Amino acid sequence: MSEKEELKKTSAKAASGAKEGKKKTSYISAKDSRRITKFNRKITKKLENDREEAGKDPASYTTKMRDPNNVVEFDNMCTYFFSDVGTVKAVDGISFDVPKCSTVGVVGESGCGKSVTSLSLMQLLQRPAGQTVGGEIRLNMGDGTALNIVNTPVEKMQELRGNYISMIFQEPMTALNPVFRIGRQVNEVIELHNPEMTEEEVKARTMEMLELVGIANKEGVYEMYPHELSGGMRQRICIAIALACRPGLIIADEPTTALDVTIQAQILDLLQNLKDKINSSIMLITHDLGVVAGMADYVVVMYAGRVIEKGTADDIFHHPAHPYTIGLMKSKPVVGKKVDALYNIPGSVPNPVDMPNYCYFRDRCEMHCEHCSGKYPPEIRISDTHVVSCYRFFETGEVLGYPKTVDVEGLLNG
Amino acid sequence: MNKGYILSRLIRSIISVLIIMVIVFILVFTLVPRNSIFAKDDGFRKLATKPDEKLEYQYNIWQKLGYLEFVRSADYFQEKYEMNSPEMKEALEPGSKAAEEFKAEFEAKGYTVETYPKSGRYFAYKDIPVLKHVGIWLTNLIKIDTPWAIKDENNPELKRGLSFGTTETGGIALIGSGSKHKYLLYTDSHFPWLHQNIIKLTFGESYPTYQGLDVMDVLVDSQGKEVKRPITYATGKEASSGIIFGTLTYKPVLDRLDKQKFEDNYANFKTQKDNPSMMGISFLMGIFAVVLSYGLGIPIGLLMAKRKDKLADKLGMAFIIFTIAVPSLAYIYLFRYLATAAFDLPNVFTTYGASDVRSWILPVISLAIPSIGSLMLWTRRYVVDQTNQDYVKFAKAKGLNQGEIFRRHILKNASIPIVHGIPASLAGCIAGAIVTESIYAVGGMGKMLPSAIQQYNNTMIVALAFIFSTVSVLSVLAGDILITKVDPRISLTEKAGRS
Repeated sequence: MSEKEELKKTSAKAASGAKEGKKKTSYISAKDSRRITKFNRKITKKLENDREEAGKDPASYTTKMRDPNNVVEFDNMCTYFFSDVGTVKAVDGISFDVPKCSTVGVVGESGCGKSVTSLSLMQLLQRPAGQTVGGEIRLNMGDGTALNIVNTPVEKMQELRGNYISMIFQEPMTALNPVFRIGRQVNEVIELHNPEMTEEEVKARTMEMLELVGIANKEGVYEMYPHELSGGMRQRICIAIALACRPGLIIADEPTTALDVTIQAQILDLLQNLKDKINSSIMLITHDLGVVAGMADYVVVMYAGRVIEKGTADDIFHHPAHPYTIGLMKSKPVVGKKVDALYNIPGSVPNPVDMPNYCYFRDRCEMHCEHCSGKYPPEIRISDTHVVSCYRFFETGEVLGYPKTVDVEGLLNG
Repeated sequence: MNKGYILSRLIRSIISVLIIMVIVFILVFTLVPRNSIFAKDDGFRKLATKPDEKLEYQYNIWQKLGYLEFVRSADYFQEKYEMNSPEMKEALEPGSKAAEEFKAEFEAKGYTVETYPKSGRYFAYKDIPVLKHVGIWLTNLIKIDTPWAIKDENNPELKRGLSFGTTETGGIALIGSGSKHKYLLYTDSHFPWLHQNIIKLTFGESYPTYQGLDVMDVLVDSQGKEVKRPITYATGKEASSGIIFGTLTYKPVLDRLDKQKFEDNYANFKTQKDNPSMMGISFLMGIFAVVLSYGLGIPIGLLMAKRKDKLADKLGMAFIIFTIAVPSLAYIYLFRYLATAAFDLPNVFTTYGASDVRSWILPVISLAIPSIGSLMLWTRRYVVDQTNQDYVKFAKAKGLNQGEIFRRHILKNASIPIVHGIPASLAGCIAGAIVTESIYAVGGMGKMLPSAIQQYNNTMIVALAFIFSTVSVLSVLAGDILITKVDPRISLTEKAGRS
């Protein structure tokens, strides 16, 4: 009950904010700008202080996994950016799990919060402007305990990064340091997380990794600089670095976007094989449905900072339930099918600074009903594995709960 | 590293320096009125009451500087008649048959024949066109010393050849006989330890200051008082002198004293003075200033980048803006005033001379201040720029902490443009010391340039232009070579752009 009241309160606030926003459109007066800057300074200072306090006490960041078979659980995580134009709710109360030894695809259009989700998990947000203000990210440490990444101090995170969770970036061309040899860059991460290893052991491991990612001339490549390699080769090196310490979770943030299609297939195959070899999970972030279809066991569809649908790959691709997902599937070209014009979803994503208090997709939705003008739809379970946030299933499905958002003004006062 | 490329760059550098010199030479020798070069010559002024001598002096100087060819009738007749003979005297008189022949002959050769204002005797001169002047100057620019360089009619038995031996001070030397210099190559205890006399650059004679000396010698030789030390000459004679044995050159006629000291005809020498040469002072000051500005500018810039938008950064920014916005002349005077008031430091270089550290402190700091500011600014900018690069995010994702990322990754990338700029800023400090050297009265090249311009010392202007342009062109090349050492992506090859 209290939850609902709270939601009503926040939605009322959001509504008043929306009215203000509509009146002024994108223009911000000098007075407002000063107010926003002052507020941002206050809130980021408070959040940083809170985080520092929490980081001192291990109890505040150790928790238990809901399901020990998961590697990572996102539980109503909210990541906001305190920008000069206002608070941008980049990710606002998302929940999903990454099970062990599986591939979870996170799809959505640009700006929907996919990358912010992964950066929150790595604590690589551009602080102090970017802050995870609420919810939990539970990382399974394997010994029955779990860490809540949101409150984990930086020193602890440095042990985890590259070791428990590692990340592959979109741009292999710029991700490697241009002035160091490949060998040194791979060695670096192994040395860092395995200080007990001797130089020969480190080099042997590097060679092993280079071979594993399919580099034929490993001795030569060891001595090369990044600019001497092609984009595909560089992405292989990035993968070698990411996998060198056998992490439990690999975050692949659009790993093939910068590569051509043939190399893309090779890189994805490689990732899939290596994942099985070292028993880790992959969180694959992409906007390419084809990539997800080929690789993912589970799919999470995001829209405007929220998860709108999640389920197995089969659920999403063969029984899409949310109108957005259905639209996405329709807008995908299909070989052998002749169409005059490819389908596109009308309209555009709402302004992230002042989101509407109803379903974010309503204005673009062709199937909306009278429920949709009410508050943001809850997560509704429509099969064992399939969860969707859409009022079309309100009557038939099992309502799981509304996404929890954070009232930042209240956070400052409370 | 491609040797062919560097060689071709060197050749291009030399050609561009030559072009600069030719342009400067033509400008100086055509635009400066030839009469004005005497303005600062005291010797010339003393001749005001003797019009004939004055005229002759003037034409002699012009001939020496290459403006014209000058023939006195007296010199011409000296070949025909005996000294002081009656025929000679008669021939010199204007209106005589011989004198008219002289006039007719030289006018036929294209000379202008005029008379001395007082005696009325004839003299002839012919202007040398400026392009020919440049040509003559260029052919004499590089002098190579060989065993056949000396052509002395009084000494036909002069042996010609090369041999290895030792100098009087015990250094190893390549000894020439018949060459202008005795020691073509030699080692001694002075920087740069190995010296050569084979190739010499001669820009011409200095005038009106340092008369009779080659401008290169003026710039390169040590200045001040002779430093005497007990020495033993080749003949066994012991004396106290500042002689530098390596500079021994051929002297056609030896006097009694020379014969006591030397066994052969190599009896001309230079002496060691207590102050470094003009070039030496300027280079030393430039190097000190560069070391100081990099030693301070880079660490402060790094600190500012690390503490971006904090107090240290803002203070640094204030300093940078001050040094950029206020003209350097203004704050050098301010700094000099404050520093001499606060510490017991001389406000001119000459108070204690080059051998005293106190003389150097203020000029070096003054020279370094402007570059400290810009170095701080650029270092901060490069580091901040690198901090936002993707590889930094990837390094964070590897698990490195801020300090490790800064030391291992950012520093090397940010150093690339900084390293590239080192030779250029060294060149800037050497050539740009004009203001500082003038203010502190430092006897270096920087002060020499404005005074050479004021004194119409044309050859000196050309020589300084040569030195400054060489230093600049070579520093650009050195910067390009240095950058290949820190940035593996850059290699100096001829075809890099095409492949």
